[in-house]
Amino acid sequence: MSKGKRGEQAEELDLVPIMNLVTILIPFLLMASSFVSLAVIDSTLPAIGAPQESSDDQEETLSLSIAVTDEGFTVMGNDTALKSKDEEGEEPGPNVPCKQLGCPGPEAYDTKELTRLLGELKDRWPDEENVILVPEPDVEYEVLIRTMDAARNDPNNTSGGKARELFPYVVIAGGAE
Amino acid sequence: MPKKKSRRGDNDAGLTITSMMDMMTIILVFLLKSYSTEDISVAASDDLQIPVSTSVKPPKLAVNVVVSRKDIVVDGAWVLDLEQVIDEETGDEQTAVPEDKKRGQLVSDLYDALLEKAENAKDLGVRTGNADFEFKGEVLLQCDRRLPFSVIREVMFTAGQAQFGNFRFVVIKGSD
Repeated sequence: MSKGKRGEQAEELDLVPIMNLVTILIPFLLMASSFVSLAVIDSTLPAIGAPQESSDDQEETLSLSIAVTDEGFTVMGNDTALKSKDEEGEEPGPNVPCKQLGCPGPEAYDTKELTRLLGELKDRWPDEENVILVPEPDVEYEVLIRTMDAARNDPNNTSGGKARELFPYVVIAGGAE
Repeated sequence: MPKKKSRRGDNDAGLTITSMMDMMTIILVFLLKSYSTEDISVAASDDLQIPVSTSVKPPKLAVNVVVSRKDIVVDGAWVLDLEQVIDEETGDEQTAVPEDKKRGQLVSDLYDALLEKAENAKDLGVRTGNADFEFKGEVLLQCDRRLPFSVIREVMFTAGQAQFGNFRFVVIKGSD
């Protein structure tokens, strides 16, 4: 190239076709590029059938479930921390109540407290990974997603650079009418 | 400037597009890099607001069920309209599947549409004999974040009856 320049005979590079190409490509890519990235949350249907009879010699499992109501989250399971409250006689209220009375919106649900409580349970049951969600019929879908997020991992407990996994396998049960 | 003048003298008034070319090359590279062919696309609207989640699992191709506040769409084909009912207790407006469109919890039209998809997918799996095309009963659920769980439950129940047992809830990746 330098040789050509020295001779001052060099043809200038014809950039017009490239310009055409680039101007067409840019609007197309701008249109196609998505600035919102998507993800998915896996869930399966609960197995249909009678609940398995648990025999005494079988190792006891946590069988954790979270009921989502218009008062808050009620965490249930075979853990002593959860059982003690049930034996007070009266109707047990939610153990993670909403921040505001009556749960006016998805923001009112105390997902941080739920994560903390589940973290405690995970400490005692490190092998458990399943959780059953039992929402009421008029609970909003966004609350469901927030609950699943809260149950999946604990962003405040980062050991080894990753958020600590709590109960990543979620099953959604029908709930009572 | 003097250069331009001399050029004009040569009857060769070219645009100085070098800087523009630089800019365009950079934009092009950036856009090509951010260009990703995702398996699913979401047509967000007023009636379909996808919730934000901390999940990082990438989406995979599957039968696409879109449940907005207005209607239910399976793989781009309209299936049925939803209605707004007034909750007697709270007085709030809520989305619901019309009573005459369901039997118990089963949404009949959605069941027919999904069953057809399941048969097709199974047929494809048998004909190709390829494990990639095998029917796994996966369904992508794109639901509006304000929908009550009763609608989601009916959709999930119907999908379950139509042999789709693995649900993937589509969410927008976000930190909150």
